[in-house]
Amino acid sequence: MSGTNGALRQFTRRSALTALGAGIVGVTAASWPRLTGTDIPGRGDNSLSIAIMGTAADAAARQKVIDAFAKVHPEIKVKVQAIQAVDWKDFFTKILTMVAAGTPPDVVYVATEGAQLFAEKLAHPLDEYLRRDAADMKEYFEDVHPSLVEAFMYKGSLFQLPIDWNAANMYYNTASLRSAGLERPADDWTHTDFRSTLAAMKKANPKDFTPYYWTNRLFGGVVPWLYANETSFLKETKSPGGEWLWDSFYANDPSRSLRSGGYQWLEPNADDPRVFESFDYLRGLVKDGLGVRPEEGGGSALIGLFASNRIGTTPAGGYWVQGLHEAGMTEDGFDVQFFPKWRTQRHQFGTAGYAIMKTAKDKDAAWEWVKFSSSLEAMQIVFPTPNTTPARRSMVNEQLYAGTGPRNWKVFYDTLDRFPTTGPIPAPPQQAAVETALMKNVSLAVSGDERQLKDALNSMQRDLELALRRQP
Amino acid sequence: MSTATSTPTGTGSDPGRRQAAHKNGHGSKLGRAQQRWLPWAFLAPTIAGMGIFTLLPIVASIALAFFRWDIISAPTFVGFDNFAEVVQDPTVRVSFLNTIVFVVVAVALQLGLALGLAIMVQEKLPAWLRVFFRSAFFFPLILSAASVSIFMRYLFNEQFGVVNWMLSIVGIPAVPWLTTPGGSAAVVILVYVWQNFGFSFLLFIGGLASIPVETYEAASIDGATGWRKHWFVTLPLLSPTTLVASVMAIINALQVFDQPYVLTRGGPGDSTRTAVMVIFESAFQRLEFGQASAIGVILTLIIMAITAAQFRLSKRFVFYQ
Repeated sequence: MSGTNGALRQFTRRSALTALGAGIVGVTAASWPRLTGTDIPGRGDNSLSIAIMGTAADAAARQKVIDAFAKVHPEIKVKVQAIQAVDWKDFFTKILTMVAAGTPPDVVYVATEGAQLFAEKLAHPLDEYLRRDAADMKEYFEDVHPSLVEAFMYKGSLFQLPIDWNAANMYYNTASLRSAGLERPADDWTHTDFRSTLAAMKKANPKDFTPYYWTNRLFGGVVPWLYANETSFLKETKSPGGEWLWDSFYANDPSRSLRSGGYQWLEPNADDPRVFESFDYLRGLVKDGLGVRPEEGGGSALIGLFASNRIGTTPAGGYWVQGLHEAGMTEDGFDVQFFPKWRTQRHQFGTAGYAIMKTAKDKDAAWEWVKFSSSLEAMQIVFPTPNTTPARRSMVNEQLYAGTGPRNWKVFYDTLDRFPTTGPIPAPPQQAAVETALMKNVSLAVSGDERQLKDALNSMQRDLELALRRQP
Repeated sequence: MSTATSTPTGTGSDPGRRQAAHKNGHGSKLGRAQQRWLPWAFLAPTIAGMGIFTLLPIVASIALAFFRWDIISAPTFVGFDNFAEVVQDPTVRVSFLNTIVFVVVAVALQLGLALGLAIMVQEKLPAWLRVFFRSAFFFPLILSAASVSIFMRYLFNEQFGVVNWMLSIVGIPAVPWLTTPGGSAAVVILVYVWQNFGFSFLLFIGGLASIPVETYEAASIDGATGWRKHWFVTLPLLSPTTLVASVMAIINALQVFDQPYVLTRGGPGDSTRTAVMVIFESAFQRLEFGQASAIGVILTLIIMAITAAQFRLSKRFVFYQ
């Protein structure tokens, strides 16, 4: 009996172990593509791998463009990989991790925030392709403002073609403005006009109403005020070079003389008296209850608050229109105006486009994708609604804003046409550290007394020095 | 012949067992080898896992502290430069100071709250309510710290948050919770303690349950009531649990990241920036992986020193029955 039991026990144990072993082998084999990462789009085959910031739904939404591209280039297989991220900074970190892991995508959709980081370390310049296909690209450049293109120039080379962009304009709630007895602000309204507008709004509107809401970030935070006051928290200079592009595509542009080989931000500038002046203005708004102490974060919650008439004004780009529309705002419920003037009316903008990675398997194929993505056909597929501002002037038209507003949608592209010195987000290759240095001091700077403001700016200067200490 | 053996000592030398073992193949040379290596074979996957996923990263991280590396370019050996730069960096110094203040306040609140509630729940409540509160207090711990913090951001928003709305009902003006140094530190600690005290609470519940009723009865006969009973019986007998709870709470608090990162991004200024947050920023924002490793090494040494001190002190303050 005992022998039988022992055999039975041995048998079952062996069977169990065998089954377990077989199970482990089976599960491992089944999940091998995941374990080795070969299920990642573009990995393990010759497809062109394109990384974008977004969700799987965003990747699926690009399918129409991929289909259109396949008709023109059936020989190039394309796979879009959407990478979820909190913000651009987070997205770039994930791309860098892929690079470190030896599995970089071939093409990456990069915003101004990361343009110089990519240009310095990761991206391949487009110069040779643009020279080669100059005839094909002429139509694109004629439709795109040179300011956007210049934002992607780095040390004389062009690394991306702008696809979409947004300037920091000023949105206002029309009902709140009317209740304050005010008309649409003038195009050249000043920072003092803006303050008067906020004061009137506050007086006329209920207690839980905020005249000016702003968030603490690189785009739309304190920087537009610094630009309007003809300064910035970093010293802005320009590289020489780039003539090959400007002379080829923008020779007759009225702003040709302004163009360069790209922006450079090499030194901190937080100790500039005009920086103090701009911060002090914002401190005054906060102190008098006209503006909020800025929190860090995006604008998703803000859309709901604005749409429920609890916010009077806020700086944002064309990307806000579709959001407000979906939140229930009618065409008459909101409008947009240029950012208020100070010493200048220079605006801040951000733009985005595809960068070809140095490590791309087939750079020629990657260029074909970049070129196709900049075509009118592709851009019309990608931007059917106003959830951003297309880089092509011809697409920013009445048709795009029909049914959503704002009435003064022309403000979006006029920002570039009327103010050609309008500049990009200050984003050197060390952008992430620079952004942290800025944001961490803004709240303190605008939330206390003058002493605290000075201390915060001194701290910002020191933090920026640390962030920029290692120049590429 | 099989029984004509000498009589060696040891359990393995029993002739009957040896015979049985021989039948099963364990008595052979191969069997003895199997006996020797079999445990290691079973342990091998765990040892390999620990080696690859725990020890190797630790060693790599320590080694990386002596290099400058931005993920993309090849690492450059810089000796102790990273440590020197880290020590001189005011942000790093402030973040470590913040972390220590955070640990002192948050751990004291966490343990105090957990102990007080554990005594209340264990003593005053009927069994079904005890079960309810155990679950209720533990529940926040299983939630994602990031999602809790995002939710709390909305609650503590100065203009539109529920907390200020509730305060306004009783006439208290809006408090700038997340935009002033004091307010943001208070919210970070509050959210952290709310989310983590449930674990200490459960440890204390277990500890309280293990204290013999007779000890309380004896104390009562000796005239101890109310606070005296807890002071002279509960706390001393709970000291081993308190040691474990405090060691774990301190180690966890020293590594706090999610709550301050999501709630305040370390601000305003550096007021809620913690040591782990600076490691993250150095590595993934500044791309200074060497410096991040150096900070990590320093933080690890601090944690080890504090834990060692706790165990050393425990010899004087922990009472084992």
